[in-house]
Amino acid sequence: MSALLLVLLPVVSALALAAARARPVTMAVLSATGLACTVLAGVQLAVPSDDALLAGLLRLDDTSRLFLFVVDGIFFGVAAYAWNRVHSTPELEAEGQRFAVLSLAFLAACNTVLMANHLLGQWIALEASTLAVAPLIVRPGVAASRQASWRYLLFSFVGLGLVLLGFVCIGRAHEGGADAGGWYLGHLPTPEGPWGTLGLALLLLGLGTKLGLAPMYSWLPEAYDEAPPAVTALLGAVQFNAALMMLLRVVQAWRPSGGALLTGQLLAMGAASVVVSTASLIATRNMKRLLAYASINHAGVIAIGLGIGKGASYGVLLYVLSNAYIKAILFLTAGKIKAHYRTKDTTQIHGLIRDLPYSGVFLMVGTFALLGFPPFGSFFGELLILSALVGSGKTLVFAALCVLVTMSFVATGRTIFPMIWGEPKQPVTWARQTLGSVSPKLFFLVALVALGLYVPPAVEGLLKAVAGTLEAP
Amino acid sequence: MSTLLVALLGVMLLPLFLSSWRMSLFGLSCQGLLLGWIAVESHTEAPTAEGWLTLFDLVVVRGLVAPGLLFAVMRARDGDGRNDVIPPNLLSWTLVGTLVMAAFSFADNLVPEAGDAQQLVAVATAGVLLGLFVLSSQSGTFSQMIGALRFENAIALLELGARGHAQPLPVRAGLLVVFLVTVGFFRWYLELLGPSAAARAPDDTPEAPTL
Repeated sequence: MSALLLVLLPVVSALALAAARARPVTMAVLSATGLACTVLAGVQLAVPSDDALLAGLLRLDDTSRLFLFVVDGIFFGVAAYAWNRVHSTPELEAEGQRFAVLSLAFLAACNTVLMANHLLGQWIALEASTLAVAPLIVRPGVAASRQASWRYLLFSFVGLGLVLLGFVCIGRAHEGGADAGGWYLGHLPTPEGPWGTLGLALLLLGLGTKLGLAPMYSWLPEAYDEAPPAVTALLGAVQFNAALMMLLRVVQAWRPSGGALLTGQLLAMGAASVVVSTASLIATRNMKRLLAYASINHAGVIAIGLGIGKGASYGVLLYVLSNAYIKAILFLTAGKIKAHYRTKDTTQIHGLIRDLPYSGVFLMVGTFALLGFPPFGSFFGELLILSALVGSGKTLVFAALCVLVTMSFVATGRTIFPMIWGEPKQPVTWARQTLGSVSPKLFFLVALVALGLYVPPAVEGLLKAVAGTLEAP
Repeated sequence: MSTLLVALLGVMLLPLFLSSWRMSLFGLSCQGLLLGWIAVESHTEAPTAEGWLTLFDLVVVRGLVAPGLLFAVMRARDGDGRNDVIPPNLLSWTLVGTLVMAAFSFADNLVPEAGDAQQLVAVATAGVLLGLFVLSSQSGTFSQMIGALRFENAIALLELGARGHAQPLPVRAGLLVVFLVTVGFFRWYLELLGPSAAARAPDDTPEAPTL
């Protein structure tokens, strides 16, 4: 029953805030709801229950418990960041109200995606999360953000449309069959014959679009660049994982019957994403776009890891969880840097470590983690994925990935490191950064470092259990 | 081919060759109404709550509400009525013909028995391909919306042809609500990205602080 609160609590809070006028308590309610959901997710993690909710449409398993805790924790951090922004910038009060209502609706939808036990129900919740977050990309008075918001909605609509088309095709493969009509996890129809193959291929293409994988990734840099930092963090660290959850469900269900197609298509989409994002990383001088291309790069590595399956799954999970925290830290820090320097041009920003020490440190540590330095989870995750590539005999993909990862490493480092350690171009003006303003990022940083240095046995057991479900029997 | 499917293919094709936003919306509306008709024709069992919901989705939401919402915004713009959903040239028209033929050839391969089921798959595939063609060839917001809604209608047609896949009522209702809200958003974006909005907020205004 407490699991249902993970959906109901944000909905009730959103409705209450929508009915009330903007006031200082709005952001406190947002943060309190985020905290309550994180605690509830933690309780589910500590005391697992396997009860079916809403006639079996929702059910918690190891995968959903793991992701609920991470996603709700990140949401809480972003909510606390937004609270601090509104507190320090009173003219943001009206925008804060809009953010609070829509982001709570978004949280409810994302939690539903994570708990869904019915693939079509999960699809509906994912679409609802898109509808809740799309208006938040719009910044008042910025035409480019309106266009970016529309492109985000359009690509999501088409991507999720392809997923729906995939379901219809897989369903047609079973016309009149005994298992027709069931989209409950554990009772899914197998993608057999030409209809099934076509359906699974469309489904993966659609989910790839939602995750920002090539070929339909062009919405992502635009949306991440134009959205306010708090919204970018929600898109990159919360919604990405919600969409990934749907892909994980597909892999869990259909690896045994459609393994070859899954491997081939995920490897192709992942490799193509790494190629296009590396080229874009070399070319861009825009800080937020650079992080967006790095996100596409990482999504590509995740797709490759999921495609291989055996041996790489544990690495994929470590990589995914680390990535969620990295994105949250870096996008929120990028927002602070942009607000301070009033530019996103990386060539105009130098000497951050002296000018904005906290942001400089966050950018530095986040970039090290982004580039896959030890001791972060992203390093171990990438290492496991690479060794699984060798183990499965895909040496060509391994060699290409090594070259591309090195290129993206150099491209990111040569752009970001001068921002941190270079000589400041302007006179140093120490902007006051309170503990309140840095604590969300500090919280993410602690979680990120912990994932690399020490994973408690209980969490490691959970990671191994989830990794086991992603591999072929 | 059944008369209804011929009519549906007709309302999918005709608006592509007539550069009018009114014709595009009229075509969408006809698609929704014909889909509803096909649903009634193909339904042999006693009506269920899910069946009524599907009919409401096709006839009211897709046939009337969606085109109606976009019509209200486009009429308020007071433009000259011209709008291309595909580039008006010989290459595009040839591509449209090729896509329709490819759809029929695809259906021949996927559904070996000739008949209504094969034709339904052919028309639905043509709808999907034409919707994606409109989306890929247009950068205007209104045309992209038309492409997206055409694509969605084609999926609905393919779903109608799949028998024995009843969904729980909350799921069917959820699909309907999500589609309805999406169409509402389409209207909002059409206003937001319209010429009057662009004139109201020029890009050179100083950027306000954001979250």
